[in-house]
Amino acid sequence: MNEGQDWVYSDIVKEHFMHPRNFLFGSESQFDYDAVGIVGNPICGDQMKMYIKVEDNKIKDLRWKTYGCASAIASTSALSELAKGKTLDEAIKISAKDIDDYLGNLPKHKFHCSILGHQALADAVEKYRAQNPSTPRKHKNQ
Amino acid sequence: MVYLDYAATSPLLPEVIKAMHEAEQKFFANASALHTPGHLAMNKIEETRSLLAKLINAEPSEIIFTSGASESNNTVIRTFEGHKIVTSPLEHHSIIESAKVLSGDKEPALYSYMLANNEIGEFLPIDKITKKVHKNGDFAHSDLTQILGKLTIDIKALDLDYATFSAHKIGGPVGVGALYVKNGVPFKPFIIGGNQEKKRRGTTYNTIGIIGFGAALKHTIDHETWKIYDTKIRVLRNKLARRILGEIPGSSLNTDLDNSLPNILNASFEAAEGESIQLYLDAEGIIVSTGSACASGDIKPSHVLMAKTGDAEVAHSSIRFSFGLNNTEKDVEKVMQVLPKIIDRLQKISTIERKQK
Repeated sequence: MNEGQDWVYSDIVKEHFMHPRNFLFGSESQFDYDAVGIVGNPICGDQMKMYIKVEDNKIKDLRWKTYGCASAIASTSALSELAKGKTLDEAIKISAKDIDDYLGNLPKHKFHCSILGHQALADAVEKYRAQNPSTPRKHKNQ
Repeated sequence: MVYLDYAATSPLLPEVIKAMHEAEQKFFANASALHTPGHLAMNKIEETRSLLAKLINAEPSEIIFTSGASESNNTVIRTFEGHKIVTSPLEHHSIIESAKVLSGDKEPALYSYMLANNEIGEFLPIDKITKKVHKNGDFAHSDLTQILGKLTIDIKALDLDYATFSAHKIGGPVGVGALYVKNGVPFKPFIIGGNQEKKRRGTTYNTIGIIGFGAALKHTIDHETWKIYDTKIRVLRNKLARRILGEIPGSSLNTDLDNSLPNILNASFEAAEGESIQLYLDAEGIIVSTGSACASGDIKPSHVLMAKTGDAEVAHSSIRFSFGLNNTEKDVEKVMQVLPKIIDRLQKISTIERKQK
């Protein structure tokens, strides 16, 4: 799969791992978000949280946190790029395969354990909708 | 590059490269053949056998060359197929997995305990075990892969019936190992169909590899490497341990510094995952290994760390630094220039809140 490369993952995975986009550095209070979703378990080796800021039914901005391996970090970073600006309906349709395609395919054994971020995103959207049955409600987190 | 993965494998020693290169031209002949080149090749094989026998205080006739530690381990377990086989949870997979498949309830039993573990370096009390084993008429095996060159080995004092060795952990080539089989104990060959190794292991001799093993053994004996490990390497290992604990919040040691091989340090970093640490270190030219599941292609983290700590998070967040003869103070310095930053960054993007601050 990675013949000819000197690294275990593809260049784009490496790029996202070395320079992850949109991560929440430090405390959650650093980002003004409307809802947060979570997936995974540190016992299994991977956990992700997605923090979304919603405006006009779209993901205006988002941040994430990950405890996990390089492909978990890279795949969550990739998802954050894919999801930004999407409507909530579009965002929840982002699949593991979409992330995998974006990253130029992770090693097979990594697919199931490390591409989980889209589930955290769907969880965040679901929570947002539960909190905002009609119109988006502004929620300031401290 | 700062190489700190010697417990996985070590680079070939210059004298090993030289010996193998010469052997490719001079000792290529089939060592079982009666012609002169074959006979000369066999002499070189016997040289290696004598060196290993001398180093571990065994008879040359008690040494069988194999393809490596896994084959040596498998061979012993297969000899006891259908018998009771007792092992520790810290053993290598080549013991645990084969014992799972082949053990039964026949007597006598085989007890297989490594003298020191490869992931955390911890010593197991095999002297107490072998005493009890022999009192009951059972047999004792030990995987000494990590011990060779690191400590002096007296196979008679250890009172073992079988012991496993590998060339590539002491600067020899991958693909060569040895099995000590005490004269007179049960033995079943693993590879059948050849008179090599007194019918104890078929297949044409890996002469060039065995010559490489010999050169590594000679280096080990000439330099008394166990003394270097006990002094210089132990100092480096302990220094890294102290600095990690002192400078990295959320760090803990999985290695007991007072009861372990002097070259292995296993540490965990709370809220930071092992494969990510390993690969960020790799990007800085620092080579280590991890007990995290992610790195192995397995779903479960290190069985050794799980057995020792019972805590999957600790296992997933673990890094093993294993030192070799070439490491210096500068290597420890280089690690500590980058590791604290890597851990801090991973902890800051982690979903896990650190308990200790």
